[in-house]
Amino acid sequence: MDTETDYEPAAHYDRVHEAWLLIMGEEFHYGFFATPDTPLGDATDALTKHMLERARIAAGDRVLDVGCGTGHQSCKLAEERGCSVLGITTSASGVAAASALAAARGLGDVRFEQRDGTANGLGAASFDVTWVLESSHLMRDRTALLSECARVLAPGGRLTLCDIVRRREIPFPEVRARRQDFATLRAAFGDAHMEPLDAYTATLADLGMTVTDSTDISMETLPTFAAWRANIEANRAAVAELLGTQGMEDFEAATHILEAFWQDGTLGYGILAAVKNP
Amino acid sequence: MPADQDKVRALIGDFLVRANKGADGWTDQSPLWGDGLGLDSLEAAELSAMLEDEFGTDPFSAGDEFPETVSDILAFYAAVKTE
Repeated sequence: MDTETDYEPAAHYDRVHEAWLLIMGEEFHYGFFATPDTPLGDATDALTKHMLERARIAAGDRVLDVGCGTGHQSCKLAEERGCSVLGITTSASGVAAASALAAARGLGDVRFEQRDGTANGLGAASFDVTWVLESSHLMRDRTALLSECARVLAPGGRLTLCDIVRRREIPFPEVRARRQDFATLRAAFGDAHMEPLDAYTATLADLGMTVTDSTDISMETLPTFAAWRANIEANRAAVAELLGTQGMEDFEAATHILEAFWQDGTLGYGILAAVKNP
Repeated sequence: MPADQDKVRALIGDFLVRANKGADGWTDQSPLWGDGLGLDSLEAAELSAMLEDEFGTDPFSAGDEFPETVSDILAFYAAVKTE
C-alpha cells in the first residue's frame, strides 16, 4: 500500500484531471448504458439526463453544484436550463479550470468557488436545487454533506445525487485480505468512501427531506469500465505521460477491480432525489 | 514471541508516518478512529497486517472487538506477553 502519496481530494483531482478527461470524456463521470455497446459519450449524457429528470430544473432556478469538478456540468445546466449555477469544489485548479470554461462559453450566470461541500458557508435557503453528481464518495462526512445540501435549499427545493454505493457490508477480514485491491482503488480514484444507497435516504429522512426516488443503476453503469479501458488503449501514450506508466496501470487495474465488485454485488451505483419539506 | 512495548510503539509510529496520520503528535491515549488518528478500515487493515507480520498476531484480527486506542494495542501485546 502506497501510503505516502497524497490522497487528499483536492490534490488528487489536480493531479489526474487531464488524464481523466481522456479516459472518461468531457462529462467526467460514469455512463448509463442502454446497451453495452452504447458509446461512452451517449451513456454519460444519459446519466446526466436521469439526474435532470429528477432535479426538474427550471429557468431562473438557483442551482448549487456540489463537487463541480471542472465545471462542465455547471455550464451545461446553465446553458440548457437557463438557471444560475454556483459550482463548488475543494480544488483551486478545478475552480480556475471551471471559471475559464464558463468564460469561454460566455456564461455570466455560472460562478465557481473553492468551498467544502461538508461545510459550504453559504446562506440557508438560498438555492432551489442542490446537484451532487458523483462527488459524495470523496466527502467522508456524508451526514455533513447531506445536511449542508438540505440547509441551503429553500422550502420545496430539490436535491439530486448520484454516486458509487456500497451494496453489502465488507467485513474487516475481507478488507484485510483484499487490501491490495483497495489500495489500488485508492491510488487510482483517491480517498473514496462508499455508503449504501439506503444510508443516504435514511439520512435525508432524518434531515426532514422527502425522498422521492432511490434507484440502483449498477447494471446500467457496469459497461463504464470497459469503455474507460478502451479510451486508455486509444490514448495510451498521452495517459501514460499524464499519470505515469504506473499510474496508468493502476487505473486499468482499478477498472477491473471495480468491475468485479460491481458483478459480485459489493459495489454499485445509485441515484436519488429528495425534496425539502415546506 | 512476546512483543516489546517500545517495538510496538515504533511500528505504530512508522505506520502513522507512512499513512500521513498523527502529524500533530500521538500518545498511548490517542484514539485510533474518528477525531483521534482517524484511521479508516483500509488503514486499519494495513496496520493489522504490519503488526501480524512483525509480532505473529494482531489485536484487530484476534478478538471480537477492535482496539479503540493505541493503549489498547499495547495492552493486547502485554496480555500476550503474560499468557
